[in-house]
Amino acid sequence: MAKMNKIRVPMREQTAEERVKNFDSVPLGYSEEEAMAEAKRCIQCKDPACETKCPVNMKIKTMINKIAEGNFKEAFLIAKEDNPIPAVSGRVCPQENQCEGVCTMGKKADAINIGKLGAFLGDWAMQNGVTEELHMEEKGKKVAVIGSGPAGISCAVDLRKLGYHVTLFEALHIAGGVLQYGIPAFRLPKDIVDYELSYLQKIGVDIRLNNIVGQNIMFDELRQEFDAVFIGTGAGAPRFLNIEGEGLMGVYSANEFLIRINLMKAYDFPEHDTPIVCGDRVGVIGAGNVAVDAARCAVRLGAKEVYILYRRTKEEAPARDEELQHALEEGVIFKELVNPVRVFGSKDGWVTGIELTRMELGEPDSSGRPRPVKIEGSEFTMELDTVVNALGTVPNRLFLDRTPELETNSWGGIKVDEKLMTNIEGVFAGGDATSGGATVIQALGKGRVAAAFIHDYLLVHSQEES
Amino acid sequence: MKHRITRKKALNAMDYLIDVEASMVAERFQPGNFAVLITVPHGERIPMSIQKAEDGKITMFIKRLGKTSIELDGFEVGDSLEAVIGPLGNPPELKRYGNVVVASDLVCGHAENYALCKALQKIEGNHVISIQTFSTKDDVYPTEELSEDFCDEYYLTTLDGSRGIEGHYTDVLKDFLDEGKVDIVFAGGDIPALRDLATLTKPYGVPTIATVRQIMIDATGMCGSCRVFVDGEMKLTCIDGPMFDAHKLDFEDIINRLSMFKKKEAQAMECHNSKTGAK
Repeated sequence: MAKMNKIRVPMREQTAEERVKNFDSVPLGYSEEEAMAEAKRCIQCKDPACETKCPVNMKIKTMINKIAEGNFKEAFLIAKEDNPIPAVSGRVCPQENQCEGVCTMGKKADAINIGKLGAFLGDWAMQNGVTEELHMEEKGKKVAVIGSGPAGISCAVDLRKLGYHVTLFEALHIAGGVLQYGIPAFRLPKDIVDYELSYLQKIGVDIRLNNIVGQNIMFDELRQEFDAVFIGTGAGAPRFLNIEGEGLMGVYSANEFLIRINLMKAYDFPEHDTPIVCGDRVGVIGAGNVAVDAARCAVRLGAKEVYILYRRTKEEAPARDEELQHALEEGVIFKELVNPVRVFGSKDGWVTGIELTRMELGEPDSSGRPRPVKIEGSEFTMELDTVVNALGTVPNRLFLDRTPELETNSWGGIKVDEKLMTNIEGVFAGGDATSGGATVIQALGKGRVAAAFIHDYLLVHSQEES
Repeated sequence: MKHRITRKKALNAMDYLIDVEASMVAERFQPGNFAVLITVPHGERIPMSIQKAEDGKITMFIKRLGKTSIELDGFEVGDSLEAVIGPLGNPPELKRYGNVVVASDLVCGHAENYALCKALQKIEGNHVISIQTFSTKDDVYPTEELSEDFCDEYYLTTLDGSRGIEGHYTDVLKDFLDEGKVDIVFAGGDIPALRDLATLTKPYGVPTIATVRQIMIDATGMCGSCRVFVDGEMKLTCIDGPMFDAHKLDFEDIINRLSMFKKKEAQAMECHNSKTGAK
């Protein structure tokens, strides 16, 4: 038996000193040789837990085996069977909690770098112009997909592959949803997102930009025109703390901060028109992936001190380990056990600081994490020029307010049954619009499941009609 | 989809109008709606007032204020815009209000004024009074772009008195309020003037609806940049507005935040000028 190689083939990266000066990808990607070497570390488990743990159940074992053989095309096609955008998910999935978290190798050594191998395949296919050969049998039925984020993409691709005519409605002027406006280019280069979306068009998905369902195209019209509808509108509306001082200049929602940077390329101002004002001292409230993204963007915009202000400790931070590690390497300071009380400012209306209270960890709450408890009388202030609220997001009211017939739950998420159908016949929903803020891969998974249920639904209808 | 400019006309030295093909916006436009423009690739998304929508085209009133609006002024009939998105925002209910005053003093109020007067005057039981304010006679728009033909009473004011009544729309309105002649006021334009309007009408208990312009990016409820405070509650101008109860608005907050990108706007202008050779 070959000697087990316990150490991962290291991923080449831009150094922290270099990368804080640009928005280019931090990981530089595996070469073919490196990918093969990493794939060869896989022991090809009899029952691969990685696949079960993958929200889209990618055939990871076979995919890795093919990479190890140097058969990248076949490996790519295997990846693509279950995941329409492997180059994206390979970069943004929380693999440590999914495939890599249960990797047998990981018990005694480094887990296989499954994420980076997935990204390698997506990139390899893009560079070599390799795509799937599809032979679609047109079904003669039409499906509307609302939202071109991860859930919408996977639902649209699967339905198109099944031969449905799919129209994808996107409110913004660029398709991709959170992949475009939310995730910074240094984590997810936009040429990769653009390429993956061009694949949708290539297979015949009709993408309609600037179409805001509920605003300039009515939900009722879609229901009349299409045989089924999938809602993948995400959870794209910001939350604020509702504390004093949130109206001050220099206070952003993370959504605004990231939309300016990612979607509108404010880091390239004035070459791109949209500006951003980022001070020398930046405080980001929250410790999820969005908070870490915002903090790392602030570093790249030239901020001298960037703080993540979190009411629990680093242990409980919801952000991916890799991203948090990268942020710390880039100089972001993680301030644990603090909670904002108010933001204060100068006479001319700009933020000058934040008042925080110290916290301690108490008994676990409903999320299973220790509850942060305020330490009375521990208030203190920090001088800041920019405050970014990264407190999570909620579903966008624009769509929901105009579709009162759609049942929602208490926090505004769309209610669905076990087949992901809403209370309206033929209208399905998935992704963050139903689950609240989750991950790209979970949304991809829901989009795929929804596509299967929509297919079943339309089959039954076709039979009834005939 | 191309958005071709079919007409362009100067309104005064600073303001101009364009007609642009935007069938999706035109089809659903209601008075009070606005559109978001992207003029060029890499361009910003900026909200613009719509005066009217006809035959698949919308007419927008634009002020030469920043890089985008100045650059757009260089576009000719036949040129196309990158995107015209909308209609956006919540239009007010078009119903019988009684004596309605529609007042405006800036480009982004005059367009709405025209659209609102035209719609409200058609409704039986409404007596529409329009008051439009300009700085001087030279700033007054061509008559056909004013709301004079679509109201029951029309008042033009200039701040220096060089044409029409001397003063601001609030001065004219005060007389009507004293006469008990006003059931509701719709107003748009300069934000400090809207604050003064709210202070003026509040003691009379006259409902006053202000059209607010705040900095927007997506204009679909995602970024929160256009947040305003209504009775202390955070609302988004893009999806909850742009019309709000003026008596409940925190105007100081709006005025303050409107200046957030002033320095950047100057930088953008400088860059634009250096590229175009303009001074």
